[in-house]
Amino acid sequence: MIKFKDKPNKDEEIFKVFNPLVKEWFKEKFKEFSEPQRFGVLDIHNNKNTLISAPTGSGKTLTSTLTIINELTTLAENNLLENKVYCIYINPLKSLSRDIEVNLNKPIQEIQKIAEKQNKELKIKIASRTGDTTTYQKQKMLKETPHILITTPESLSLLLTTKKFREKLKDVRYVVIDEIHALAENKRGTHLSLSLERLEKLSNESPTRIGLSASIAPLDKIAKFLVGTDRDCIISDVQFNKKMDLKVLSPVPDLINTTHEEMNNNLYDMLNDSIQNHKTTLIFTNTRAATERLVHNLKERYPEKYNDNIGAHHGSLSKTHRHDIEDRLRKGELKAVVSSTSLELGIDIGYIDLVICLGSPKSIARTLQRFGRSGHKLHETVKGRIIVLGRDDLVECSVMLKNIIERKIDRIHIPENALDVLAQQIYGIAISDITPIKELFELVKKAYPYRNLTYTNFKEVMDYLSGEHISLEDRHVYAKIWHDEETGMVGKRGMMARIIYMTNIGTIPDESAVKVKVGEQVVGTIDEAFLEKLKKGDVFVLGGDRYMFKYARGMAASVQPAAGMSPTVPSWYSETLPLSFDLASEIQKFRRLMKEHFENKSSKEEILEFIDKYLYVDERGKIALYEYFNHQYKFTKQIPNENQLLIEHFNGQIVFHSLYGRRINDVLSRAMAYVISKVQNRDVEISINDNGFYLTGKEGKKIQVLRAFKLLKSKELDAVARNAIESSEILKRRFRHCAARSLMILRNYKGKTKNVGRQQVSSMILMAAVRRISNEFVILKEARREVLEDLMDIDNAIKILKKIEDGEIKVKEINTRIPSPFAFNILMQGRMDMLRMEDRVEFLRKMHALILEEIK
Amino acid sequence: MEIQKNIEIIDLALYLKKEKILIISDLHLGYEEALNKQGILMPRFQFEDIIKRLKEILKKVNPELIIINGDLKHEFGTISRTEWKQVIDLIDFFKNKKILLIKGNHDNILGPIAKKKNVKLVENYEINNLLITHGHKIPKKLNKTIIIGHEHPAISFEGRKDQKYKCFLKGKYKRKNLIVMPSFNLIQQGTDVTKQKTLSPFLKKDLKNFEVYIVEDKVYKFGKIKKLKEFSS
Repeated sequence: MIKFKDKPNKDEEIFKVFNPLVKEWFKEKFKEFSEPQRFGVLDIHNNKNTLISAPTGSGKTLTSTLTIINELTTLAENNLLENKVYCIYINPLKSLSRDIEVNLNKPIQEIQKIAEKQNKELKIKIASRTGDTTTYQKQKMLKETPHILITTPESLSLLLTTKKFREKLKDVRYVVIDEIHALAENKRGTHLSLSLERLEKLSNESPTRIGLSASIAPLDKIAKFLVGTDRDCIISDVQFNKKMDLKVLSPVPDLINTTHEEMNNNLYDMLNDSIQNHKTTLIFTNTRAATERLVHNLKERYPEKYNDNIGAHHGSLSKTHRHDIEDRLRKGELKAVVSSTSLELGIDIGYIDLVICLGSPKSIARTLQRFGRSGHKLHETVKGRIIVLGRDDLVECSVMLKNIIERKIDRIHIPENALDVLAQQIYGIAISDITPIKELFELVKKAYPYRNLTYTNFKEVMDYLSGEHISLEDRHVYAKIWHDEETGMVGKRGMMARIIYMTNIGTIPDESAVKVKVGEQVVGTIDEAFLEKLKKGDVFVLGGDRYMFKYARGMAASVQPAAGMSPTVPSWYSETLPLSFDLASEIQKFRRLMKEHFENKSSKEEILEFIDKYLYVDERGKIALYEYFNHQYKFTKQIPNENQLLIEHFNGQIVFHSLYGRRINDVLSRAMAYVISKVQNRDVEISINDNGFYLTGKEGKKIQVLRAFKLLKSKELDAVARNAIESSEILKRRFRHCAARSLMILRNYKGKTKNVGRQQVSSMILMAAVRRISNEFVILKEARREVLEDLMDIDNAIKILKKIEDGEIKVKEINTRIPSPFAFNILMQGRMDMLRMEDRVEFLRKMHALILEEIK
Repeated sequence: MEIQKNIEIIDLALYLKKEKILIISDLHLGYEEALNKQGILMPRFQFEDIIKRLKEILKKVNPELIIINGDLKHEFGTISRTEWKQVIDLIDFFKNKKILLIKGNHDNILGPIAKKKNVKLVENYEINNLLITHGHKIPKKLNKTIIIGHEHPAISFEGRKDQKYKCFLKGKYKRKNLIVMPSFNLIQQGTDVTKQKTLSPFLKKDLKNFEVYIVEDKVYKFGKIKKLKEFSS
């Protein structure tokens, strides 16, 4: 059962279970327990699985390890410490392992000092083991095994496959999973959930699981993710106990009729004022490029104020540079640090009294995480500001702030039934043990992401691994495991199994920078995910210059200079995070309330008053909000909202005001384009953002959109969407990732590493070949699932269609001569993808007919 | 469709009508195994697919001699188990027909099998003013018409760069007629001759004036490469 703990334990209760040495040390050092400690320590001591959700800096790490330190001290005192691991501490960031080690060593050394006074030696050992650990260090760990082992999810699965070290893990009593919120929402977490079950299988006694999480929802799901099926967990939710001072700021009163220059002047004045009025300010931008630009401009505009006391921190910068910035932050030498996402997670970064987000962070949880970097110490107020740069941004951030203040957090999506990760982990199990297939299936289903796994899907993975799809004579090449139908036993195949596993596991795909070339000359690099979005003719900015995209080959993009042309794709596109569905719904609700005001002919004052009461914005923002909605209503007499899907026809382009977030618009737009292309036999261009999408026919003929929309039924959306993505770039890339995860493509083999380009070429050949085996080949099926469920959000897209069918959402069509204010940003996105109607041969025939015409 | 008088395109093969000779090129048997050795779990269907396609071709024509114009197998410098087996199986498939193997750059150890199966292995083959050679090097003596493989020519069109189509090319080399055959390798389409650099020394000049014959469900004559380039940009 999953239970929320509503009352903390009393300090005396907790002290009662403490070893006298630990008690002495604690009292000397802290005097009293922190809130998370009062909630968590005793339950952990009683071996109850525990999820602690608390803000950064509230002492979660110590909460989770106090009990462990306590127990180890008692064992050490009595000379009962054995040479084995008692606690595994998992943190997603390899780079943090050292810091955690240092942080944990500190109390242990301090307790040791107290013990020394009594002539006792404790000898409690801590070590970290990650991808960076040397073979020598690993060897040493066998002889002198750390009692607390700090590691990453990937290294844990390797440890579980290491013959000798496995023996050291049989009596693990505690597993701590730090930053569990950052793991649960992707395949690294899925992978970890299976590793935990593997550890469970290996253990003599079930280890106590402890999850540490920042603000996240839904906590009960995260708890289930932590413990798996049919295990109990106690949730301690202490996340909102900090005081908060939050505001949305608009640099100008009118976000549309302001020159770029005026906007910038005000923005930088605003930033400068804020920085100057605080000791240390942390600024988040949404892209790396913006991070650099901001630092540059602040130095340029206020040379007397900013020089060495400001710095940038993002993933593209070197490790040394980042560590330097972190060090100086801790020392309090910096006035301001500008970061993209790299400083969201992680350890103590010192004293920060203000966090500014430039532009919407797109999700409530993320905003909280960012704001949580300020007032890092307990009892300090969290102080955060979001500066908005556009009108949609303003609406989004204002509603977001309302949710934060009213304590509503958007729910994360936990991937389920990932078959590629499953294949990898089953291989790992088979390498270390011979297991009955039934037991294997049960083990897998214990992990939360696989609780609903069907035996059919499980068997398909087993068949793939045992080479069932391959003729008997060639099977030896493919089979990674053997499965004896008679005895039901499963084991590994091949001498190379262990080394293949060791060098190829993990779930983070090799992504790489794509070279951008003019002719043969390389002019820069772009993100692979950004390349996925580019279509021929798109203009984008790179290193301050503009280029037109021609085509991509492997991992190189061919472009031509396009000076003077306006960009059709914002270059930060691939980096921006999608708006969460829950936040989108809240914005839709606000739109409805505003619409009702306008329809009821409320006065301007009344509406301003409503905004003031409902949201938490400054004076400028309030007026800007009013004007934005007022324009939209005056212009179209419509405000699209949670009850109405507005379809706007403008100059042959069809804008869907579907404010559901990009993950849903991605599905809806592709499915719509597919239906139109099939029924009306034509190519359709699509473009999406969080607030909606647009479609346009290539030949400019009118698209009968309502007719097509009626053909798109909730029951069939899944099938239609599958067809719509079948020949897309995105499916090809994701298939490559899945093929690598399921070890169909070995990134490292026989001492050679395949680069991403080579992997992509191989995966295209492979994709055609597995289709030949079956269009539902298990790894291909997984790639489609990943695209539709994880990257996109098919479930909620289906729900929306259902609401339309039930009349809960009404569809309304309008024609405009200039785009309505709400449509403006959707149209500004630039093309994203083109859905083609013809198949291979049809396309060839068309080209042939054209060329015959040409050469006549 | 006749690409030249007496020389007909039948799927990915050429048929010399008068001489009753069928030519296929660049099968690269064992290609999948080579991928397997690099750690790519490519299932092996190619041989089965090749046989299926050859059967269809043999329904249309009844050759007396089969010429395999080089690169029958894939691996350089070695012969793998699969290659050995598949080469023999392919020769057996043509059982009651005469077979002639022309040496390609991947074929340097085909000798033992040829001997074992009593099949002739030669550098070039000449018949009635025709020279059939693999195309990785230029023979001393050239005939009026030359048929080569080696290049694996294919074409793609602007706007659909993901789709490549296998094709024959026809043009001139030192005032001789030159015909370039597509590969009978069914795993990859080949080299996009509108984009990528060509390999064969026969194709170093004047490529833009070669005519394109795409083979898909049937043969499509597409005019000169330069026209295609103009057309698609």
